[in-house]
Amino acid sequence: MLLELTSVTKRFGGLTALRDVDLQVGENELVGIIGPNGAGKTTLFNVIAGFYRPDGGAIRFDGREIAGQPAHAIARLGLCRTFQLVKPFGSLSVLQNVMIGALNRERSVERARPVAEEIIERCRLAPFRDAPGQSLPIGLRKRLEVARALATQPRLLLLDEVMSGLNPTELREMLDLIRQLHADGLALLVIEHIMAVIMPLSQRVIVLHHGEKLAEGPPAAVARDRRVIDAYLGEEFAVAEA
Amino acid sequence: MSRLIGSVLSTQHSVLLARLGRHWPAVVLFGGAALAPTFVRDSYLLDVLVLILLWGALAGAWNVAGGYAGQVSLGHSAFFGLGAYAAAVTAIHWEWSAWLAMPIGAALATLVGLLIGYLSNRLRGPYFALATIALAEVLLIVASRWRELTRGGEGIPIPFRPGFENLAFATKQPWVYLAVLLAVLVYGVAVYLESSRFGYQLAGVREDENAAEALGIDSRRLKVIAIAVSAFLTSILGTVWAQYVGFVDPNYVFSFDLSIKFALMTIIGGIATGIGPFLGALLITLLEFYLRATFSGGPAGQSGIYLVIYGVLLMVVVRFVPRGLAVELAQRFRGRRARPAATPEGEQVAARAD
Repeated sequence: MLLELTSVTKRFGGLTALRDVDLQVGENELVGIIGPNGAGKTTLFNVIAGFYRPDGGAIRFDGREIAGQPAHAIARLGLCRTFQLVKPFGSLSVLQNVMIGALNRERSVERARPVAEEIIERCRLAPFRDAPGQSLPIGLRKRLEVARALATQPRLLLLDEVMSGLNPTELREMLDLIRQLHADGLALLVIEHIMAVIMPLSQRVIVLHHGEKLAEGPPAAVARDRRVIDAYLGEEFAVAEA
Repeated sequence: MSRLIGSVLSTQHSVLLARLGRHWPAVVLFGGAALAPTFVRDSYLLDVLVLILLWGALAGAWNVAGGYAGQVSLGHSAFFGLGAYAAAVTAIHWEWSAWLAMPIGAALATLVGLLIGYLSNRLRGPYFALATIALAEVLLIVASRWRELTRGGEGIPIPFRPGFENLAFATKQPWVYLAVLLAVLVYGVAVYLESSRFGYQLAGVREDENAAEALGIDSRRLKVIAIAVSAFLTSILGTVWAQYVGFVDPNYVFSFDLSIKFALMTIIGGIATGIGPFLGALLITLLEFYLRATFSGGPAGQSGIYLVIYGVLLMVVVRFVPRGLAVELAQRFRGRRARPAATPEGEQVAARAD
């Protein structure tokens, strides 16, 4: 397993945000995480990526224990996350944003530049290469967030709702990009609110509810799960049609 | 012209030329200053020049932390004073050469910089500035009270022993060369910060620490290093300044006014730019000389006029050229055909000019 969480728990004062969560992501696997608001999805990302220290449990990445390590050390191991509330380097250009990501692996600016250029091309950001991050509309900011994370050349990419707030064209492009990355061998853990988007994309889906893993399995099976349907308050839908 | 030459030379050469081209204001400023003693004999004018270069270098040193790392310090006089006192104290007690005192002061300042950088790592925004103000105030009190070492509030006149070995010169000419050298050094640090891996990553930390962490950047380490480098440079310049002026007064070298001055010159000239601090220093120093000439000898109430003028100047800059003179001028020169340059600042400017 590339990533393996064993009964990970995270508490904020009296609130238990994550309780005994087990989770695995294999090499080149695409796993979706769904759950209602406040289910603990983003907290889970923060714990995995080293932004929060878990109160219990173990997190192994590529066979190495990473729980409690600082975020930058985990990123260097090849585990990179994006932020739901995107954080572009506002006054820096798109190219510089992506280059700073590329410098995670590349030792010099000269070597980071072509890597960044290629990723910008791939993420269809080339027309905005020299625009400052803060000038981009939300759809492009989401794409920049992904591009910058990709530039770190991760082995596992954690995407936090990169498809929310996109228009239909942008959504299709983002889906194509994610599929392409997966086809190229990357492992992905994807949080998404929009069920119709995440279900057909994922090989396996994990449902979080009140900080606990409610269900796990192939999308079609999870969608039929009674507990999942209840958790979403009858928000029933057929995956097959999506 | 440069385009013509560039097309003649190989691609690699033209890239080199383009890079140098971006630095032409610095080449003009520092080159002109280095040539000045050849043509100018007037020691008053040379004095103005030396001070412009020293203040510019000091503002540039502040810029490493306050500009490039986004760690706005309002207590940089602490590091300046350490450098100045290192020279003064060792000279009167042990007759040391300032060359020996310089690394002592710089080491002390670097240590203090590392310490405050480390301790205030969790502090952001105004809290870091407050911590640095407190630091300078503490050192002011120590320097004023530790009479056996510092002679207290009356200050220390540095014994004048001219000669290169003592870092003291009887004529202005060598001072100009030394000041140019230091200015180029500080400018070089800025160029490094605009074009190196460290500099790019530091820009990321300045913009958003969490995003930087997610990209594998140890943001705390980078900030502490930037603060320490800034303190180191400021202290060295403090030593040189003390040797140049010849008198160290705790109420001046550790003053809040001085800390404000470093920040103000940088902000007016262009924060996080290489040439900005020097433009700011040029403007402020000329203004100071003018005000001194105009208001000296007047009633005591007028001596504070510079504060009023600083205030007005800052308001004008923040209102009309919020990113500083350097950025504004760069945009004017590039016009609408802005072409991205090879550095964060350059590209940033270009992007905005589009």
